Amino acid sequence: MTHPLEQLRDEALREIDSASDGQALETARIKYLGKSGSISAWGEQMRTLGKDEKPIVGKLLNEVRNAVSAALESRAANFRSQMESEALGKMDVSLPGTPHEIGALHPLTQMWQRSIEIFRRMGFALADGPDIEDEWQCFDALNTPPEHPARNEQDTFYLPDGRLLRTHTSTVQIRTMQAAPPPIRVIAPGAAYRRDELDATHSPQFHQIEGLYVDENVSVADLKGALEFFMRELFGAGTEVQFRPHYFPFTEPSLEIYVKSKALKSGERWIEVAGSGIVHPAVFEAVNKARGDKAYDPEKWTGYAFGLGMDRLAMILFDIPDIRLFAQNDLRFLRQFA
Amino acid sequence: MKFSVNWLREFVDLPKNPEEIAELLTRAGVETENIETRGAKIDNVIVSQITASSRHPNADRLTVCEVDDGSGTKRQIVCGATNYKVGDKVPLALPGAKLPSGTEIRKSKLRGVESEGMLCSPIELGVGDDASGLLILAPEAKISAPFSDLFPSDTIFDVEITPNRGDLLSHFGLAREIAALTNKKIVGQAHRLPAGGAPALQRKSVTISALRECPFFSARKIDNVKVGPSPQWLRGKIESVGIRSINNIVDISNFVMLELGQPTHAFDADRLRGGINVRLGREGEKFLALDGKTYSLTPDSCVVADQERAVGIGGVMGGEETGVTDSTKNILLEAAYFLPASIRRTARELNLPSDASYRFERGVDPEMVLRASQRATELIREIAGGTPGKEINVAGKLPANPPDVSLSCEKCNRVIGITLKPKTVDEILGGFGLRKMSAAKTAKWKIPSYRRDLQRDVDLIEEVVRAYGADKIPGTDRSRFTPASIADHAHDLESAWRERLAAVGLDEVRTSKLLPRERFAFSESAIELRNPLSEDHVALRPSILAGLLGVLDRNIRAGAERVAIFEIGRTFIPPSGKEERHVGILLWGNVASAPNWRSPKSRGLDLFDLKGALECVAPNLSFRQGKFPDLALPVDVFSSDRMIGFGGQLLAAKSTAPGAVFVAEVHADLLLMRNELATKFRDIEKFPAVTRDIAMIVPEETSHQKILRAIEEPREPLLEHVELFDLFSGGEIGNARKSLAYRLTYRDRSRTLTSEEVNAAHAKIRERLRRDLGAELRE
Repeated sequence: MTHPLEQLRDEALREIDSASDGQALETARIKYLGKSGSISAWGEQMRTLGKDEKPIVGKLLNEVRNAVSAALESRAANFRSQMESEALGKMDVSLPGTPHEIGALHPLTQMWQRSIEIFRRMGFALADGPDIEDEWQCFDALNTPPEHPARNEQDTFYLPDGRLLRTHTSTVQIRTMQAAPPPIRVIAPGAAYRRDELDATHSPQFHQIEGLYVDENVSVADLKGALEFFMRELFGAGTEVQFRPHYFPFTEPSLEIYVKSKALKSGERWIEVAGSGIVHPAVFEAVNKARGDKAYDPEKWTGYAFGLGMDRLAMILFDIPDIRLFAQNDLRFLRQFA
Repeated sequence: MKFSVNWLREFVDLPKNPEEIAELLTRAGVETENIETRGAKIDNVIVSQITASSRHPNADRLTVCEVDDGSGTKRQIVCGATNYKVGDKVPLALPGAKLPSGTEIRKSKLRGVESEGMLCSPIELGVGDDASGLLILAPEAKISAPFSDLFPSDTIFDVEITPNRGDLLSHFGLAREIAALTNKKIVGQAHRLPAGGAPALQRKSVTISALRECPFFSARKIDNVKVGPSPQWLRGKIESVGIRSINNIVDISNFVMLELGQPTHAFDADRLRGGINVRLGREGEKFLALDGKTYSLTPDSCVVADQERAVGIGGVMGGEETGVTDSTKNILLEAAYFLPASIRRTARELNLPSDASYRFERGVDPEMVLRASQRATELIREIAGGTPGKEINVAGKLPANPPDVSLSCEKCNRVIGITLKPKTVDEILGGFGLRKMSAAKTAKWKIPSYRRDLQRDVDLIEEVVRAYGADKIPGTDRSRFTPASIADHAHDLESAWRERLAAVGLDEVRTSKLLPRERFAFSESAIELRNPLSEDHVALRPSILAGLLGVLDRNIRAGAERVAIFEIGRTFIPPSGKEERHVGILLWGNVASAPNWRSPKSRGLDLFDLKGALECVAPNLSFRQGKFPDLALPVDVFSSDRMIGFGGQLLAAKSTAPGAVFVAEVHADLLLMRNELATKFRDIEKFPAVTRDIAMIVPEETSHQKILRAIEEPREPLLEHVELFDLFSGGEIGNARKSLAYRLTYRDRSRTLTSEEVNAAHAKIRERLRRDLGAELRE
C-alpha cells in the first residue's frame, strides 16, 4: 500500500508534467510546496507523529519534496528555453550589423607601412632628414658637382635664400653618415620634390624610401639579395626581379631594379621600381671631409644604397592609374583602401 | 637618342632580330626605350611623277591625277592630298600592293572615277609619322624605281644614354659598345683616318684666348662648294633618326655628328671678317643665333668670333649671319673640343640646349675631332664639290688621354660579391678597349680616349658587372641587428596616432606641401619658391589646414555629406623654414556618414568631437579660449599645461561649406617626448566602488570646469572619479540656466566603504556646490 505522501507526490508530478505554461507551473508549486501547500502541510504534521513513524515519514517527506522541486525546476527550465527560442526565433538575423565609422589610412601611408615593416624584418632602422636642404647635401656630397650633367638645377625648386627642396631622399644618406660612423643600416621614408608639370605620372612632390647599408665587404650580391627579398615580400613570392646596370652619380656600379609578376596588372612586362647601387667612394670622401675624420674609409668600408618610389610602388600594387589621385584626397578614392 | 639599325650594321655585325640587340643593350645598362620598324619591305610601290592634276567631278575634296609610272602609259589616280604640285615625284602603290596597315590596293572606282592605284603618305608606307599629305620624294628619284630602294626597311631604336656615356652618342660609338658586349670586331672605315694620313695641320688664322673653355679648335677652308638639297641616301639617313634635312652642307655636318659623335660647324667663309678667335663673351654682347633668336652673352660663355664679332656660341650654336645658305660659295669647317662644364653652363644659362651642346657637355672623344673634320670634308667634296684647303688651321692642344686606373681582382670580387677569375676580368676590360699595363696583382689599366667616365677602380668594376651580367650575380642574405633610432620611436608613435584617429572615424589625407598662392590660410606668410613652375605650387605650407580646407571643398563638390579627416605631416615655419611635424584635423557634417537603422538620427559633429579626436593624440588635453581671426570660436589647445596648437569653429565667411566646420592643428613634435620605457602595472582594485549621482541646475555661464573644480577641490580622499553624463538646457529649466548630472565614484583601495562614509563625503561635495556655485541640486 502506498503512503499518502507518495500518492501526493505522484499527483504533484502528474500536475507538473501536464502544466501547459509557466503560470500553471507556478500554481502547482504553490499548491504543493507553497507555505500552505499540501506537501508543506506534512511538515506540520510531523510533530504529531510517534517516535517510530517520525524518521520514516521524515525521510519520505524529504524525498518527495526533492522530487517535486526537481520536477518543478526542470519543467521551469524547459519553459524558459522554450520561451527564449520562441522569442529569438522571430529575430531577423539578416539585419545589418551596427555600423561603425572607421577611417581609412591614405594608400601612401599604407605603402610606407608595408615597406617599413619588411625592411624592419630585415634589420633596418629608420632615419630622417629635412625636406629643405642645401646644394651640398643634395648634389655636391652625392658626387654631383656643379656642371655635372646629372645636376639638374632646372628640375629643382629653390628657396629665395639659395637653399632647395631635396630632389631625392638620398640626402638622408649624407646626414646619417655625418651623424654616426659605420656600420649603418637605415631606411629613410620621406618626400622629395622635382620641378615637373603635374600629370598622370609626374608630381612636383613625390615620396620615397631611401636605404643605406655600410659595412665591411658589402657587395652587389648583398644588394641583390636584400632587394630581391623586399620585392618578393611586397609583390608576392612569384615575383621576378631583374637588375639592370644604369648610371647614378652617387653609386658605382649602379643598378635599376625591375619586377615582373603575373599577379600584377603589368603581367609579362618588366616594370622599373627602384634605383640602387654601391655607394660611390667619392660620397664617402665628401662625408669624411664634412666629418673631419676618416670614418668612412672607402678602402675599408663599402655600402649599398637604394631609392624606392612610394607613389610608383603604390600605383603598381593597388592598380592606381593616376598619381594625382594621391594628393586630391577624394574620399571615394581613400575609402577604397579602408 | 635615336639609332638606325642599318646604320649600326655598317660598323658591327648584329644579330638578325633587332629585339635581341635591344635586350642585349638594355641588360648592359643602355636602355632601349622604344623600337620602331620603318619602311617595311613593300612590293609594288614605285616612284612616280605627277604629270597632271584636275578636280574630281563628283567630290570637292578629291583630285584626279595623271602620273608617269615609267611604263609609257600614264596612269589615272584619285587622290585626297593637297600638298603636291604637278612635277612632284611621289610613291605610287600599284594594284596588288599591300601596305603595312594591311590595306591591299586594288583598281577601283572612287565616286565614279577609275583609280589605278594609290599615292601614299609617309605614315601609310611606315616611313614616318606624317599623315597630312603625300610623301614628296627627292627630284632625282628615278621613276619606276622600287620604293623600298629609296627607303630600305630599317629599325629605329630610341635609346636612353646615361649622362656618363657621351661616347655612345653616335652610331659608331654604340656599335663599338655592342661589339664589346658581343665579342665582335668593329668593321668599316668611316671612323679611321685615311691611309694617306691626316692632312697637315698649321697654326694659322685661328687663335684661342679662352684656352680653358676651348682647349682645341680646328678650321678647314673648303672653296667652291655647291649648296643644294642632299641626295636621298643622306637625307634618308638623318631623317630616319629625327634630324630635319636643311641643305647638303648642314646635313653632312649633322651626319658626321650622328655617325662619329663629334659636332662640326660650317661657316660661310665669305661672311667672316678675318681669322677666328675663340674667346669669352663680353658683358652686354648680343648674338643672333641660327635659331633666329638673339642671346645676351656673358663672360661665362665661350664664343667663336672673327676679328669683329661673335659668329658662334662655342659648342652650342652657330650664328645666323655667318650660316651656310644657298648662295654660299666657300665654307670654313669647324671641329673643336670644348670643356664639358663650360658648355653645360653656357647652354643652361642661355637656355639653349642643342644636339652639339648635348654631346660636348657629356665629353666628346678628343681623338675623333680631326677625324670628324676629315670625314665631313670628304663628304662635302663628294656631294657638294668644292676644294678643301691642303691644311687644317688649328690652335690649342687636344686634352691628354685619361690617366691610368688601377684595379685588383680581389677588390673587384669583394665589391661584386662573387669570385671571378682574373682572366675573365681582363677579357671584359680588354673588350671595352682598355689595355692592361702591368701583370701586378693590382694592375694598371690604360683608358681609351673616349672613356673619360672611367676614373677609379669602381668604374672598372661596373664595366665588369655590365658585361658579366648582373643576373649572374646571386643575391646573398646579409643581415645585421640594428637598434631602434629616434626616428623609429617617432614613426611608431605617429603610426599609433594614425591608427587611433582612423579608429574614431577620421580618414587620413595627404595634401601637397606646396601650396597655391591664394591658400596661405592660417598663416600670415609662407616661404615662397624662387622658381615655381605653376601657380598651383608656389610656396611651402606653413600650416596643414589650408590643405584640409581644399580637401573639404573638393569632397563637398563631389557630393560628400560628411568630411572628417586628419593629416600628419611636415610644415615649414617662416621665416627660417623650420620643419615642424603637425597634426591637422577637420570635421564637417554628421557623426554618422548616413542614417542607419540603429541610429536613424545622427547629430552634427561639433567642437567636442574635435576635442575628443585630439585626445587620441595628446594626453591631458584642455581647451582654453583663444584668439584667431579666421575662427568664430577660437581655442588654444593645451596638453599637460603646454600649449601645442589651436582650433575652433571656422568663420562661416572662410568656407563655402554649408554648416559648421571645425578645425584644429597641433605641433606634434611637442608630443613626441615620452620618457618611460613602458606603462607599469598597478594592482587591480580589490574592493568595490560606490557610485552616487548629482544633478544640478546652474546659471548658463557656470562652466563644467568650474563645477569640476568645486567637486574635486578640496580633495576628497574617497572620491575616485567624476563623469558628466547629462547636460541640457531650455524646456522646463528655462533659458539662461542649464542642468548637469554627474556620476561620482567613491572607493578606498584597502577596504569596502560603508554607505555612511560615502554619504558623508557626498554630502560635503553637495554642500560645496550649493554654497560655492549656488547650484540648485535636484533629487
